[in-house]
Amino acid sequence: MFNLTDEEILRYSRHIILSEVGGAGQQKLKEARVLVVGAGGLGSPVLMYLAAAGVGRIGVIEDDVVDVTNLQRQVIHATGDVDKPKVQSACDTMKQINPHIEVDVYHERLTKDNIFPLLENYDIVVDGVDNFPTRYLINDACVMKKKKLVEGGILRFMGLIMSIDAGESACYRCVFEEPPPPGTVPSCAEAGILGAVAGVVGTLQATEVLKIITGVGEPLYNRLLQFDAEELRFHEVKARRNPKCPVCGENPTITELIEYAYTCETQAPGNP
Amino acid sequence: MGCCSQSSGKDGEMLSSDKVTNEEISCLNLVVQGKPLQYRGSADVRSLLESRGENPMYVNVRINDEVLGHRDFEHISLHDGDSIDFLYYMGGGTCLTLQMKKSSGIRGI
Repeated sequence: MFNLTDEEILRYSRHIILSEVGGAGQQKLKEARVLVVGAGGLGSPVLMYLAAAGVGRIGVIEDDVVDVTNLQRQVIHATGDVDKPKVQSACDTMKQINPHIEVDVYHERLTKDNIFPLLENYDIVVDGVDNFPTRYLINDACVMKKKKLVEGGILRFMGLIMSIDAGESACYRCVFEEPPPPGTVPSCAEAGILGAVAGVVGTLQATEVLKIITGVGEPLYNRLLQFDAEELRFHEVKARRNPKCPVCGENPTITELIEYAYTCETQAPGNP
Repeated sequence: MGCCSQSSGKDGEMLSSDKVTNEEISCLNLVVQGKPLQYRGSADVRSLLESRGENPMYVNVRINDEVLGHRDFEHISLHDGDSIDFLYYMGGGTCLTLQMKKSSGIRGI
């Protein structure tokens, strides 16, 4: 009935006994293809939970190597991985968690030149970056190629999550039309990040991916969920498609990919 | 109208005579981040943000059903009963990271 081995049925039994998921849902997970951009604070829980859940093909793109300062939150990497490419360290951990999945590793930076060919191989994209140039690049490319996107961001004790069904729900630019002025929003390296906040937000992103694949529940479309760890509160803000959105609006002005410069003020590539 | 009205300085501050401006101070019943708030200050979004300790450069703002453009907060008026949400930019950085890397040899972010 389903293309699952006995070992897989046992492994995923706690999914399968959920009536909303069942064998059919688990089969969808096995057939799913998800691209995760970044193997850092957000990418770590995303990659680990998607691997554990049995998402059949997971791509991870990241050009950085593991640093000791990453280990306080980037739980897919361990002390012995310092100086290894993050994609390799992440792949090793994912394979240890679940040898049944396939992992595609791309040890490179995501650019306007490689993003479209990459997207062809995947159905859903997860944003786990910490720089605005790549964040807007991912949003615009997903809108143009009609790929579903699960956005996430973290800073200090806060996080945000938003799922995007390109062309159907509000995109990132519908809410944040342009990047903030250079130098105005600090990075985690400058402002700090409570490590577990990355776990909360990344785990919510993974949850959204699993819901979208299986069709369970209501994804965070047209909703922006903000998390405040200091008060331990979630605050949901309704969003809607902006008819004047420069990329998904009625008369888009962005019809080709823009790669905002990595100036001193807008951050080098990296992960939260 | 709002909960009170008088002429004074910005952000509810009671100003001495040499600081008094002609700026209109309003007192509005708002809903900010889902919570009721009696706001006393200049009836524009930038003043509200500053009174709440929010850096206008870090956030976008949604009033009722409208998400505002990012940089014109001082020109957007507040009205009694408005529901305001702050939408925080998260996920960027500045040159300090690069400086740290250069000076300390730190790799990665």
